[in-house]
Amino acid sequence: MHGYYGIPYIMSEDYDSRHGMSGTRLSTMPRPTSNITIAQKCNIDIFLVVRTEFCRSKSILGNSVAQGSVYNPALSGNSQSATGRAYPNGNPELGYNPPGVRNTDSAVPLHRSKPVVHDYACDGPAPGALGFRWTYGSNVAARNRDPRVQVVQYNEDTFVLRQNVCVHWEAPFTYLLFGNNGALLIDTGATATPAHYPLRETVDAIITRWGQARGRSKVPLTVALTSGEDIAQNQGLAQFAGRADTTIVPKPLPVMQRFYGLQSSWPSGTGRIDLGDRVIEVIPTPGTHKDGVTFYDPYCQFLFTGDLLFPGKINIGNDSDFIASLERLKAFAGKQGIKWLLGGHVEMMFVPGKYYPRFATYKPYERVLEMVPALIDEALQYAREVQGKDMMLIRPDFAFFNGVSPDQRTQVWPEGVPNINPPRPF
Amino acid sequence: MDRRAFLSYNAAVAAIPLTGVALASLTEAASAAVRPAPVDFTSNLPAPGSFPKRWICGSSSCMDNTDPPVQVHWYNPHTAILRQNKAYSYEAPFAPLYFGNDRVLLLDEGFVQLRNDWDLRGTVDQCIAEWCARNGRDPASLELLVAFSHLHADHYAATNQFADRPNTRYMGLTHEEMVGFWGMTNFPEERVRLDLGGREILIWGSPGHVVSEFAYYDSYTQILYTGDMFYRGRCYISFWQPWFDSMKRLIAFCDTHPVSHVMGCHVEISKDGQDYAYGMTYQPDEAPVEMTVQQLRDAFAMAQTITEPGIYFTGTVFLCNQTRGTTTIDKNPYRYT
Repeated sequence: MHGYYGIPYIMSEDYDSRHGMSGTRLSTMPRPTSNITIAQKCNIDIFLVVRTEFCRSKSILGNSVAQGSVYNPALSGNSQSATGRAYPNGNPELGYNPPGVRNTDSAVPLHRSKPVVHDYACDGPAPGALGFRWTYGSNVAARNRDPRVQVVQYNEDTFVLRQNVCVHWEAPFTYLLFGNNGALLIDTGATATPAHYPLRETVDAIITRWGQARGRSKVPLTVALTSGEDIAQNQGLAQFAGRADTTIVPKPLPVMQRFYGLQSSWPSGTGRIDLGDRVIEVIPTPGTHKDGVTFYDPYCQFLFTGDLLFPGKINIGNDSDFIASLERLKAFAGKQGIKWLLGGHVEMMFVPGKYYPRFATYKPYERVLEMVPALIDEALQYAREVQGKDMMLIRPDFAFFNGVSPDQRTQVWPEGVPNINPPRPF
Repeated sequence: MDRRAFLSYNAAVAAIPLTGVALASLTEAASAAVRPAPVDFTSNLPAPGSFPKRWICGSSSCMDNTDPPVQVHWYNPHTAILRQNKAYSYEAPFAPLYFGNDRVLLLDEGFVQLRNDWDLRGTVDQCIAEWCARNGRDPASLELLVAFSHLHADHYAATNQFADRPNTRYMGLTHEEMVGFWGMTNFPEERVRLDLGGREILIWGSPGHVVSEFAYYDSYTQILYTGDMFYRGRCYISFWQPWFDSMKRLIAFCDTHPVSHVMGCHVEISKDGQDYAYGMTYQPDEAPVEMTVQQLRDAFAMAQTITEPGIYFTGTVFLCNQTRGTTTIDKNPYRYT
């Protein structure tokens, strides 16, 4: 038994079966092996990034000590994190369960007779972890062999899916959230062809697997978009046409407003999507798109901002709407706890103020996806600066394009921000 | 070989006036006995040839592209035109391969460096082998000249793939080495003649897009290859006056020489004049690479009226006068009031 060093690591399906162990320690249920077959049958490459935080027992540690040699993590061949170096096998002084584990299903009985009902009420954000890096395309896009849909499990009820950069350069993020009564898919990717971008198959596989883990045969799905008009997010919608137990939020703006019950209160009101004890709030945020909305998940305390605010080149559609939406988000953030803003794309590099151009199929220096809520204030401040002007403006974590070509460039570099040029690939 | 020695040991030995019988070495004389009759590149000009109706032009999903990395189109039996696959690089430049009785000239290389990513060398070798098989030659007897139109990486990136190829000379990556490679002493006005063995290539300076750029005229097909200073797409004119002077030289050349096609390095425009933005990897409706002399003259006529920096559409090409690279005419499609 090896591989549990208390560090995040990537585990693929066949790694799992080779080592004959359960893929995730977050769940104590026996792994439903039939799910592997489903995934394999669907020919989907699913990467599960699972963070196992110090969740090994002392007895396992005892075994490795009994082998008589001192474990040297540097020689193990496993990548080591900073904490992993201090406690390569997990800190035995810490409890078995990491903080917040009571929010998860780790303690549900093995053999259940009825569906698991999860308690989504919790103090503070539900725990979870995102991968540090996403698949980022390749120098020669035609030779890319990464998964078409990269699946990262944030926690048991929250999945982040990313489209392969070499399938579509926009490489949008798609989010799949589960509640006791159903699932919500936020955005659908930039490619309609299932052979190129098997979003539906992937979502179906995740839902089936989740349903089996929770003892549910039916998991109703709602598909909602952060913007119905954005072709970088609405193309995959066609794949869900005719799917059973599926509600697709209708598209033209007035119909969508009616669906959310916002026809009279757009854009000041909020709508709700109830997933069963996990109520997603729908905040109208036009600005980059006329029909833009932001979703708030109170369980993970995420704002799914789509194109409105993301680490990349933000093309403002209407600057006064944009500012009003940011103000609404700021007011919302004052009332509700917010851990992260998760946008629809990543275009910035991990050096401040630098970004990838449009159509790039190789982005090895991508910034992380998540943004801290303080960035709403910064965005608001600089959105006011570009209001009414045709200009672009660079900030460390995003760039605004107001009334100019998406290829606009500027000589103006933000003050106090180090100007670092990352190395260029071949 | 030091720099000075390199500059003197260059392809100019093949260029007029040094070429011809004076150059014929003993080995060539010895092998001449078994050679078939040389191809005649001087009669019935221009040699007929054709461009494809449609080039391979990428795919909506790059990783699902199954086209060959390099598309090889034989314009006629002695002229191949190579094009990089858009899924290998969005630049997807064109690269003519001109065959003569003694030498082969490869112009431009595509925007991928490593041979295991993109085997340009293998493709060129295969083209040479095919040509030699058709004409009863030994590939080892042909010298390969690897040159490029101008000093930009999408045109020279694969040069190193040819570094260990026998009987090959390739252009250096500095202005001096480029000019020295063709033996020019008066760039850009001087026009030199490169003899590929019965097939003459005329070369002169054509700066404007960058400083170090050439125009190439093949006397056999009478194709005028204008590099990136004039192509169907966005001609990024970094230096207006040198570019304008280069245009004048091209027009003057067309006045005195027959030109069958004007050909640039890229295509960035659709058949109906729509701009394919910088970096796009799929151009399903792209315009042909070849242009007519009249289109060149029209562009020149329009250029004479241009006094300000900006993007001008001539009906064939976009003249991006001193706008910065990658500038396009795109707008945010989601803008609303």
